[in-house]
Amino acid sequence: MNAARQIFKPCRLFPTGRAFCFLSGPAKGDNHMDISALLTQYGDKYLQALLTTWKLTVFSFSLAFLIGIAITVIRVCPIRPLQLFGDFYIQIFRNIPGAALLILLVYALPYLNIVLSYYTCVLIATSLIPSAFCSEYLMAGMNTIAPGQIEAARALGMSFSKIMKNIVIPQALRSSVLSLTNLLVATMLTTALASQVPMNPMDLTGLVSHINTRAVGGVTAFLISAVLYCTTAVIIGQIGTRIDRKVRILR
Amino acid sequence: MNFSENNTTSANAAPIIELSHVDKHFGSLHVLKDISLTVKKGEVVVIIGPSGSGKSTLCRTINRLETIDSGEIRIDGTALPEEGKKLALLRSQVGMVFQSFNLFSHKTILDNVTIAPIDVLGKSKKEARAEAMDLLKRVGVDSQASKVPAQLSGGQQQRVAIARALAMHPKAILFDEPTSALDPEMIGEVLDVMTSLAKDGMTMVIVTHEMNFARRVADRIIFMDGGSILEENTPDEFFSHPQTKRAQDFLNSIQAH
Amino acid sequence: MKQTQSSIRDVLYEAPGPKARKRIAVITVLSLLALAALAVAVIRRFAQTGQLDARYWSIFTRYTTWRFLGYGLTGTMTAALTAGVITFFAGLLLMMGRISSCKVLRVLCTVLIEFSRGVPTLLFIYFFLLVVPQFGIRLPALWKVALPVAISACGVVAEVLRSGVNAVPKGQTEAALSLGMQRRSAFFKIIFPQALRYVIPALISELVIVLKDTTFAYIVNYSDLMQNARVLISNYDALLSVYLVTAVIYILINYALNKISVAVARRTQ
Repeated sequence: MNAARQIFKPCRLFPTGRAFCFLSGPAKGDNHMDISALLTQYGDKYLQALLTTWKLTVFSFSLAFLIGIAITVIRVCPIRPLQLFGDFYIQIFRNIPGAALLILLVYALPYLNIVLSYYTCVLIATSLIPSAFCSEYLMAGMNTIAPGQIEAARALGMSFSKIMKNIVIPQALRSSVLSLTNLLVATMLTTALASQVPMNPMDLTGLVSHINTRAVGGVTAFLISAVLYCTTAVIIGQIGTRIDRKVRILR
Repeated sequence: MNFSENNTTSANAAPIIELSHVDKHFGSLHVLKDISLTVKKGEVVVIIGPSGSGKSTLCRTINRLETIDSGEIRIDGTALPEEGKKLALLRSQVGMVFQSFNLFSHKTILDNVTIAPIDVLGKSKKEARAEAMDLLKRVGVDSQASKVPAQLSGGQQQRVAIARALAMHPKAILFDEPTSALDPEMIGEVLDVMTSLAKDGMTMVIVTHEMNFARRVADRIIFMDGGSILEENTPDEFFSHPQTKRAQDFLNSIQAH
Repeated sequence: MKQTQSSIRDVLYEAPGPKARKRIAVITVLSLLALAALAVAVIRRFAQTGQLDARYWSIFTRYTTWRFLGYGLTGTMTAALTAGVITFFAGLLLMMGRISSCKVLRVLCTVLIEFSRGVPTLLFIYFFLLVVPQFGIRLPALWKVALPVAISACGVVAEVLRSGVNAVPKGQTEAALSLGMQRRSAFFKIIFPQALRYVIPALISELVIVLKDTTFAYIVNYSDLMQNARVLISNYDALLSVYLVTAVIYILINYALNKISVAVARRTQ
């Protein structure tokens, strides 16, 4: 098994001395590890990585949700410049590749004298991108409301805030449950970006590349991470479907 | 349920709705041309006319769902405010029933009727619910109280919409083509509710195509075409002796079917 | 007078009265000032750190720069389209297995679909980079990008196609069968074309995701846009400007694809 070593040259050493190098093929001549060996040596690291991934997912999604609500409010308000700004934000962050954004944050910002920790960069990338999609889903949820219902509420004498509280927000949220569930899973998948920067503790994806550069973890090392990701995704999906069934609005 | 002090409309009854020289444009289209209209307490005014005549727009300007370019609108003597709490207050005193019912899809029938009395008028939940059940019984849908609008037929939904408007104890109710979106077999049940409301003395402004209903129930018929009021008369007079050619053509085109 | 179709954005705020109009005007001016201030602050930061220097941006006046980026873009497109084709057919197979009458096939395909949808693309890429060579298989870089990206996307494509098939009215199958068609040809000649027409916008959206995933090609050393951007950087020492321009190129391409998707959706309405 002779995988050629391809070390990617670091683009530039930063003033702080941090280098960023991408990992490559496995070292020569290591023992192939089976599942029991893997678990004894790396079992606790897998658990740590799982918790890291979960934590990152929860933080990112919460941030994405809050930012998404703020952007939706901006996009809907009657102030044209703010509307355009909100739409512009959406177009940037739903179309930019995660890797490109992360590279900009980690590599390019220091040239503007903004140096953020690796974790912060990852968190920003994994929050801003889902936030754009969150706003899109909330808008779609709002668009399921028949405009006539807003008029009816107005004709009954409800003020703007009452209309938002009684009609718009409940219906928008209840109609977006499935989309937001998918977004939570997508956020978890986006957190794999954390594997591209040195992070301690590692996330599930970073751990697989870590293991495979020190030993021959084979398919097993990959499968453990994959199954952990997958199971989380399925559980989230089930919970989301159940919630949606309860709160779904019949039309 | 009685809505007026005396059971008859008297000539000296106070005007509930007054429009004076109301004008409105949609861009370059002149949709309302110098409209003046007075609706007294307890009166049932029916507005008819061909589509595009501006009758729906007229109805919607009364509670400012549509704005006007010039002229004045008064509700029970108070000028219609342009915005804010005062406008919301006045709107709560004028009910509206829409062509597409516009019930709140995420709330049960009972909640649909109680939400405005609770949140806008400040009634207690208990009081609002008791009243709502009475109103739903009155319009004949009390058995559906815990269902959601999607589970009801069109006729039932519209009757709930009428109950929702009644729950606010309005001074007048506006009806914007209330039966136009209903299947024929359900039109009757809604018109029956509206007829009984009229008998009980509710002030009503109704935009409709139902001529027989108009003839039976209206105190006054308003005929509109091209944004102006062309004729204003009692139902008997209007239907038997229409005075303008446009009104005659309109009535002929309806009888032909 | 019939009102035109209004979306929620138009109806949420009603026609403003005089006080509200004043408030809106004031806030509009304030927000314009705030946005302008933001733009100025960003440009100032660029200027202060010397990033506005000509040497960083003059490379973009050269044809060779753009040609080189163009090659990279070709690489990206090749990877994306290769992955796109593989993922479509893989998704099609998975979808058909998912709706087949054979229970074992159904369960197997459901599991595979969930697996594809639940695992990040990066993990699949690491699998092809680190694990596959352990079995002596040496793949060219294009496949080390296209295959993992395709595997990651085929689950979603399968579900999208399935939703399209479910959207076709049942009467279509009944009519086809009553005309004497076999189930298989009824599916491919009648149902599937209609299903496809319903879901083309969603498939284009998935293509955008595939394209975004190809940016991980640097991991496997495949020459795509990102990789060529890197070479430019090491040659001209202009990191910020090159990465910014690269990011903008990606954003513009994906924006265009999304617009096409919306236009197609509107036409099939």
